[in-house]
Formats: sequence, structure tokens, C-alpha cells
Amino acid sequence: MTSESGLIGGFCRLYSLLLYAYPRDFRRQYGRPMQQLFRDRCRDLARNPGRIPVLRFAAQVMTDWVRTAVRETAAAVRSEDRHPARRSSVTEWAVTLLIYLFATTTLVQAYVVPTGSMEGNLLVGDHILVDRVAFSDPGPLGRHILPYRDVERGDIAAFLFPEDIRQTYVKRIIGLPGDHIRLDHGQVIRNGRRLVEPYVQHIASYPDPYRDNFPLAPEAGTTPLGYDMFEHHVRNGEVIVPPGMLFALGDNRDNSADSRYWGFVPRSYVVGKPLLVYWSFDAPTADLEQWTVDHVIDVALHFWTKTRWRRMFLVPLSQRALEVGDAQ
Amino acid sequence: MTKHRSPQQLLPLTPPVFHILLALAREERHGYGIMQDVARQTDGALQLGPGTLYGCLKRMLAAGLVEEVGERSDPTLDDERRRYYRMTPLGKRIVRAEAQRLAGAVTVAMARLAGANA
Repeated sequence: MTSESGLIGGFCRLYSLLLYAYPRDFRRQYGRPMQQLFRDRCRDLARNPGRIPVLRFAAQVMTDWVRTAVRETAAAVRSEDRHPARRSSVTEWAVTLLIYLFATTTLVQAYVVPTGSMEGNLLVGDHILVDRVAFSDPGPLGRHILPYRDVERGDIAAFLFPEDIRQTYVKRIIGLPGDHIRLDHGQVIRNGRRLVEPYVQHIASYPDPYRDNFPLAPEAGTTPLGYDMFEHHVRNGEVIVPPGMLFALGDNRDNSADSRYWGFVPRSYVVGKPLLVYWSFDAPTADLEQWTVDHVIDVALHFWTKTRWRRMFLVPLSQRALEVGDAQ
Repeated sequence: MTKHRSPQQLLPLTPPVFHILLALAREERHGYGIMQDVARQTDGALQLGPGTLYGCLKRMLAAGLVEEVGERSDPTLDDERRRYYRMTPLGKRIVRAEAQRLAGAVTVAMARLAGANA
């Protein structure tokens, strides 16, 4: 099978998974030509895309799939009465594994929140699923079918940490390209308007001019990319978010290493949108960054008591900040 | 189980089977070609999905209405090998019988409806 790049290839892989609903013999015999036919029709569609044809095609394929999978399975069961054959458990497991791999790499990914920078909304030890489809532009064809939208102010986003892309951070997006941003006594002023942010928590026991009246001047906590921001993107005491970049802050505003310290998040580093908390376990940061023997024992012994059951299946939400009047 | 059927027992044909046979009446085609031709025959009303098309072909092969003529690539699409199908003499007899049956039904319908209108 020739390889196809991009979205059509993705749909074909998805369709090849749907084929597992058909009986094995039927799949063996017709699976490949069915995939070919599916791909040919995707190509037809890609030549003149549009919302209506794409939706109609998707509906057609789904009804065709449901109806014929049922029909062929019934036919196979009828003929199996005469010559019984067993589907091996190896196949069953292979299918399960395939679906799992597909789902975990393409659609959602699991992360753990190791630090308290989003405290108030995400706690240390929250295990979250990140929706990888939400913020990834699926191209001209997929835009009509996939639940895609661009990142907006107030969205919580998971992204690769610009200073070390092996780490994934979760923060709230405060500024989009072109936004002018500064902080005044811990309050964000965006494009000259003071934000009232219902999701923010302030726990400061001491004032910190760098943190609360950003941007002043780089200091010890500023990373190289942070310096770059100060050098090139600060004008008249405000940060101006450059094209293709985002400005992200933690909800736990007084205890968060965020864009104030390490600069902008490139739009392309955004991984996805936190979908839900699937498990929340009360554990220290160090344990969550790497699984240790101690941590395994801790989980085994205290699973019931240290799991925060009330956080189970919690959905972290995007929230709009209120913009009030002109600041000064 | 379909081997000893007489042609009349296969009638009436379902719309997909009928149109697939018509698609193969003049030339052998691959699955995508059949699907395109059926859409053309019916002004786009009948779009065969992969499962419907190959489910029908499976049954039609078993009943001896069509046969496979091996794989080759279609230069108008890409260099991938596609499975081609052609109609058997039995398939030709059947589709002809079905067309006659339908023509008869249409004649009766037109006569009755014309009478009803007058």
C-alpha cells in the first residue's frame, strides 16, 4: 500500500481499525480493496472539499460500516455452524493493543501535574488526559469534521516547555499574538484593560516586584528565553506578544514559573487541551516526575486513602477573564 | 448453498446488485470503478460504501454472477494493484431478466397511473 501523507492517511488508518468489526475471513479477503476504495473516495473529496460533502461522506461510511458489519457477522455466524473456527486470543489482544496505541498517541495523552502552578484548578498529583485533537490544526479537509478550534485567551493548554521540550507544562493562555501585557500589583493588564480573573489564586506572603509588576528587568530567575523576551519584546513597560507566540501564566499566580520567567510559548509547541482528571493522587512533586520504588509502595499501600476521589473525572475548564475599564 | 439455484430464484435483485451488474455489463472494473459507475447510473442517488460493495460482490461471486479477473494497477489512479471483476454469462442472463421484469412492472405502473389521473 502506498503511503499517504497527512489527514487522508490518518483517516485510512482509522478506517482500517473499523475493519476489525468484520469477521476475520471477510476482512482477509476484502479488507485491502475496501481500504483502497475508502482512500479513493477520500481523495475525491479532497479535490473539492466542503462541509456538506464531507459530512455526507462521513455519515455514509458510518451507516455502511454498521449495517454491513452486522450483516457479514450474521452471515459468518450462520456458516460457522457448519464449519466452526475460533478467533485466536492473540488476535483479540492485538486489536486491543492497536486501538490503545492509536488512541494514546493520536487522540489523547496522559500526563501528570507535578507542580502547583495551576493550584486552585489543577493540583499536584492530578493525572490528566490531554485532548490532542482540540488545538491541532487538521488542515482544510479535517477542519470541517474534527472538533478543532484555535487557542483562545483563557484556555488551559498543555505545551512543550520552550526551555526543555522534554517537559510538558500546563498553564492558562493569557495573551495571543499582538496582545500588550503587563502586571500591576499582581493583576494582569491586557491591551490597557484590567483583568478580573476568577480562576486565579493569590497566596503571596511577601511582595515580589518582578512577579507582581512584570515586566521590570530580568533577574536571577529569568531564563535565556526570558532574557530574549525582555530584550526584544518589551516596549513602554509592556510585553508585546509576537506573531506565532502565546503568553501563558499559571493560575497559582504567585507561585508559578511561567511566561514571566521563560518567555513565550510557540503556538506549534501546544500539545493539547486538558480533557479530564482521571486520577488524582496526593504525592510529592519528586515522586510524580519519576516513578520510584518508594512511590510504587506508597501507591500500593495508600491507594484508597490518598486518592482524591472527589477530583475524579473533573474537567478543567477554559474561563474568560472579565475585562474591566481602562487601567489608568 | 447458492450453487443449484435457477436464475429465476435470484430475482428480484436488490438495487446494489442490479446496478453493480450494469456497471460490469460492458467492461471489467475494479471496486472504485464500479462505485463511480453506479453513482453515474443513478445520478448520485446510490453511493456504494465499501462494506455494501464488497459484501455484494462476495455474494455475487458465490452465486456465480461475477468473477475475479486478477489484479492490476489502474494507470488513471495510482500504481497500486486493484482487483478487477467481470460479469459471467449467468450474470448477463440474470441482469437481462431483471431488466425485463422491471420494464414489465413499469409498463403496468404507467398504464394504471395514467388511468387513475384521467
